[in-house]
Amino acid sequence: MVAQAHTAQQSAALLELRNIQKWFGGVHALRGIDLTLQPGEAYHLLGENGCGKSTVIKIMSGAHPPTSGEIVLGGQTFSSLTPIQSLAAGIETVYQDLSLLPNLTVAENVALNEQLVNANGRLARLFDRKRLRETAARALAAVGLPTDRAFLNTIVSDLPLASCQLVAIARAIATRAKLVIMDEPTTSLTRREVDNLIRVVERLRSENVAVLFVTHKLDECYRIGGHAVVFRDGQCVAQGPIENYSKKELAELMTGRSIDAQRYRTSKPSEVVLLKVDHLVTDGVRGTSFSVKKGEILGITGLADSGRNELAMALTGVVPAAGGTMTLDNKIISVRSPARAIEQGIGYVPEDRLAEGLFLDKSIFENEIALIVSRLANSFGVVDRDKGREIAARLSEEMRLNTKNLDLAVGALSGGNQQRVLIGRWLSIAPKLLVLHGPTVGVDVGSKDTIYRVIQALAESGMGLILVSDDLPELLQNTDRILVMNSGRIVAELDAAQATEDQLYKAMLANTTETVQ
Amino acid sequence: MNASRTGELDGGAGPSRSFSFGELVRRRPETITFLLLVAICTSVAIANPAFLQPSTLIDIGRASVVMGLFALGVFIILAAGGIDVSFTAIAAFTMYSMTVLVQSYLPNLPIVVIILMATLGGAALGIVNGLLVHHLKVPSLIVTIGTQYLFRGFLLSFIGTVWIMSLPPQMGAFGRMPLFQIESGNGALITLPFYFLVLPIAAGVTWWILNRTLMGRAIFAVGGNADIASRLGYSLRTVHVFLFGYAGALAGLAGIIHVCANRQANPFDLVGTEINVIAAVVLGGARITGGTGTVLGTILGVLLIVVINSVLVMVGIPSTWQRLVVGSFILLAAAFFVTRQRRK
Repeated sequence: MVAQAHTAQQSAALLELRNIQKWFGGVHALRGIDLTLQPGEAYHLLGENGCGKSTVIKIMSGAHPPTSGEIVLGGQTFSSLTPIQSLAAGIETVYQDLSLLPNLTVAENVALNEQLVNANGRLARLFDRKRLRETAARALAAVGLPTDRAFLNTIVSDLPLASCQLVAIARAIATRAKLVIMDEPTTSLTRREVDNLIRVVERLRSENVAVLFVTHKLDECYRIGGHAVVFRDGQCVAQGPIENYSKKELAELMTGRSIDAQRYRTSKPSEVVLLKVDHLVTDGVRGTSFSVKKGEILGITGLADSGRNELAMALTGVVPAAGGTMTLDNKIISVRSPARAIEQGIGYVPEDRLAEGLFLDKSIFENEIALIVSRLANSFGVVDRDKGREIAARLSEEMRLNTKNLDLAVGALSGGNQQRVLIGRWLSIAPKLLVLHGPTVGVDVGSKDTIYRVIQALAESGMGLILVSDDLPELLQNTDRILVMNSGRIVAELDAAQATEDQLYKAMLANTTETVQ
Repeated sequence: MNASRTGELDGGAGPSRSFSFGELVRRRPETITFLLLVAICTSVAIANPAFLQPSTLIDIGRASVVMGLFALGVFIILAAGGIDVSFTAIAAFTMYSMTVLVQSYLPNLPIVVIILMATLGGAALGIVNGLLVHHLKVPSLIVTIGTQYLFRGFLLSFIGTVWIMSLPPQMGAFGRMPLFQIESGNGALITLPFYFLVLPIAAGVTWWILNRTLMGRAIFAVGGNADIASRLGYSLRTVHVFLFGYAGALAGLAGIIHVCANRQANPFDLVGTEINVIAAVVLGGARITGGTGTVLGTILGVLLIVVINSVLVMVGIPSTWQRLVVGSFILLAAAFFVTRQRRK
């Protein structure tokens, strides 16, 4: 408290944003943000994907200039910051992508920035290797990583992801930070590492350092405590001690509508069998048989090594099955490749949409029509762009994309919108069967809601859907039946309307020999 | 083909050692370059013991200077994730312009000033590259293809196309100035020229910049990921200007040494050897995608190419085979690096 009173004399706040506006081309990303951060306090910046959270932290760290507004930092008023100004003022950021340099060593990633900032960004300076090691070792010890020479000299691209996340945090606390911003810092951490991180945060706060979290994990926010700051559509809609809000209230503030854990499933499946799978065998899947009716949504779950991923890839030709038969619409089909699967009318929304599904630097338009380009082309191979745009516009409308600009690069969209573009692409070929693999991984509450509604509308139109997911509430809310896989076999089939998460968990974790009986 | 077999033997020396060897290659890919070099030299020496004469080694040293200077420039740009194909044009431009300037207007200019001016001229042209790369935000390959044509076109259109056979005397003298001389078996005098010193000095300076200054770390940071580096506060503009300026300076220096060593100035010279230099740097273990590599590896890569180019003849392999050998080595080394990287 003494320290706080002391800083209060110099300047009331650590950092103050005044009426910050930000435009990206035609997109109004921030609509007048006022935010005051006090030393030693923890803040949780909450909001849906695309609400402006990332933009606001980029403005604080100097990565983007605001279009208008003021930033008050250490008693000085700025219209925009450079990365060096921001770092020199003690604002450290742990980016969601971690922003580690993959080709440099752990020590350099952690401690090189201290020397860069001390040199005020000038590069014609000697670099102090001894000091680099010392600073790095101190910071690594604070986050619970090893500090021996071998680890300090490890190239970052050789580290597992969880260690990378801790290395990024170590960099943020390596110098005399006054504000540490953490953008989804716990996504790849285990429980123990999260506990360790929370201890680090407590220590930082006791040293009068402010911490700003950007996260979707509300449980962790409550554990850490502090202030909630809720963003929606580029505006700050609520601010206050986090314990004053319930989870439900926060979700409503973020989305602007009331979201209940309702069951989305509306229509009933038909009695006509669409897909019949007989003794399908592939690497990790040992002879599974099941069927999907027209208009049915079938859930498939299991642990990561249960064979559910391999099953999805076999059904869609990504990794063709080694044995067994598939019958679609009473015809025996073989899907040796994704192209064959598409011809047969089987669509696949992969789990890793960034790596497997989307062309990030291409426009929404180009992504949406990727599957039907050959159909849009005339006999000379010239693509009818106008017709393509028409189709892309209709799909975007159906998927309720939050932009009308079809020329925007998909990489510029938020995760939820990217997923909608990907699903929209599949609608363009109107598949008979659509396999969705983890469709809401990394997607916020509001986008989830939209995606669920689209899934239901597709089933209603008579399409068969297979939803492979480890999000159990998602399966219970959206499907007719749920198959649980365990060690390459289907060990349980449950009616989604009656099943509970508990039952699913038990089947997933059961020792296989027990369940076979 | 004896050569590659020796390399394989070294590579697969027992299962107990193979892991640590793999780890060594992964962290220090220039080990492969070194082994290839040793393998070649050993097999050439066995086939023709004359290879081990001091005169051959001096020839190799002399032939490495110009290519080595170029390679250091290419390496430092590659380390930052860029690529440069205009350095030969920069070298040709500075060497020929300087020769014309000295011959026609300033015949009494001391050699030190000539070298300094060529180096600075090269740096200036390099800075043009750097500014273009930074401000146009175009890949450096495209920019330097453009400037290669530009610099060369300017040289041939406005400065001259005449082959200058008789150099200004101070330049010729510098090319002949000995570092030391030895008498070979048949009584001929073999000279290691003084200008040879430039290469180890330039290599040392480059090593020092890369490993002991913030600029060096910034170069690797930019090579790792330019967006992240700029987010962390590294000024991309400073790095780009320095990089290309430095590589340009090395090219200018290489150009003037090339003229002095050959005792003639041909404006059509040098351009066309870029791929050879880039091959040497890549053989030295620097990844074409940037962010890795060492000065030592670069020098080893240069020695490897120079040895292949100059000594295969000694064991009766026709010079037309040189390209075949260089090509297979590049593929061999690349395959080695890639499998090692994947295995982690």
